[in-house]
Amino acid sequence: MIAGGPDYYPGGGQASPSFSFRATHVRLAGEGDLLARLEALRKQLKAEGLFQLQGQLRRPALPKTIGVVTAESGAARRDLLAGLERRGWGGTVVWAFAPVQDRHAAPAITAAIQDLAAQPQVEAIVVTRGGGSLADLWAFCDETLCRTVAMLRVPVVSAVGHERDSTLIDDVAAIACSTPTHAAEAAVPLDCGTARLGLERAAAVLSRAAEGAVRARTPHLVALARGPARALRRERLALNQKTREIRAASERGIAGRLGFQRRVAGVVLERAARRAAGAEMERRRAALHRAEVALRAHEPERTLERGYALVEDRQGEPVTDVSAASAAERVKLRFADGTVGARIEENR
Amino acid sequence: MSEKPESYEAAVERLEQIIDRLDSGQAGLRETLELCGEGRDLVTYCTAELDAVGEGLKELKLDELAANLAASTEAGGA
Repeated sequence: MIAGGPDYYPGGGQASPSFSFRATHVRLAGEGDLLARLEALRKQLKAEGLFQLQGQLRRPALPKTIGVVTAESGAARRDLLAGLERRGWGGTVVWAFAPVQDRHAAPAITAAIQDLAAQPQVEAIVVTRGGGSLADLWAFCDETLCRTVAMLRVPVVSAVGHERDSTLIDDVAAIACSTPTHAAEAAVPLDCGTARLGLERAAAVLSRAAEGAVRARTPHLVALARGPARALRRERLALNQKTREIRAASERGIAGRLGFQRRVAGVVLERAARRAAGAEMERRRAALHRAEVALRAHEPERTLERGYALVEDRQGEPVTDVSAASAAERVKLRFADGTVGARIEENR
Repeated sequence: MSEKPESYEAAVERLEQIIDRLDSGQAGLRETLELCGEGRDLVTYCTAELDAVGEGLKELKLDELAANLAASTEAGGA
């Protein structure tokens, strides 16, 4: 754009008249001006680190509710819905319609984004419109709008214009898409149909794993299951054995007791016998004593004690008659207290 | 389910870990059965999440959503 004014020279004797335009200021206008301002703002926002903030937010793979800022009547709306349905996604779309192309657009879009972000159910926000000139898309390069998006805690998916168009909102958004269809895929990263198939496969794997793990161990489990029965059988055998042993032992015990009783009886009998024998001995002893007394009554000593004397020859044989005494000539007279010699002197 | 997964992605990630572990063949019987139980819970959770967005796309205008929210808040508060 050039500022200045026309100038007219009427001419003179030596000069022709002329008409000219005097330019006083020159500056870039139209797209050139917009591009220059956009570039300056882009540098500034980037320097402030606003391009990274949205990218750090977690984008849910399967949001249940997404907010969309777009024009109420437009191809973008239709394309986005088609994209979501192709995903097999049947969640809730919350529309926040806003003008997308005039001087009221930027504040209206900013307000719509903020309102959507204020709803706790809204898990992602899509901002979209169709293609146009840079001037048409200029609202999406608005500084306030872009700062708002950058600072938002809800991820924003931008799909403004066509592939060749680059607006500032694309730089600050969590993800920039070239078309509303792509924006649908970015807002709902999960293809629900594929996800269902994946889950069915996972469920099958789990069932197989559980059954397989059990089946692989079935022989072992069967062996383990037999274990108790085997142990039971073993115990039963052991028990039977013990029972037999106990029975045998008890029989032995009875026998033993019998033997014991017999032994006891033997001892008792023996004692009785011994006692009986003692009595017999006593009796015999008494008899013996009586015999002894009787014998002693007959002993020569007893007779000698009574004053008799025993006549013995030189060999100690008793001299019991006269002829024996005459023949012996010399005899011994045995008294109770001793013996004296004597001579047979005369015969009668 | 012992605890609700943090998100669908977290559930799927854990599910994949479980399946990798099961595929490795290194899990013992007890671990296998536990993993299968946990995996089934995760599949149930993920299926419920998919079902929640599987009944057809619903469209609301922002002011309708705000009105619904206000009504439910009032009902909840009453």
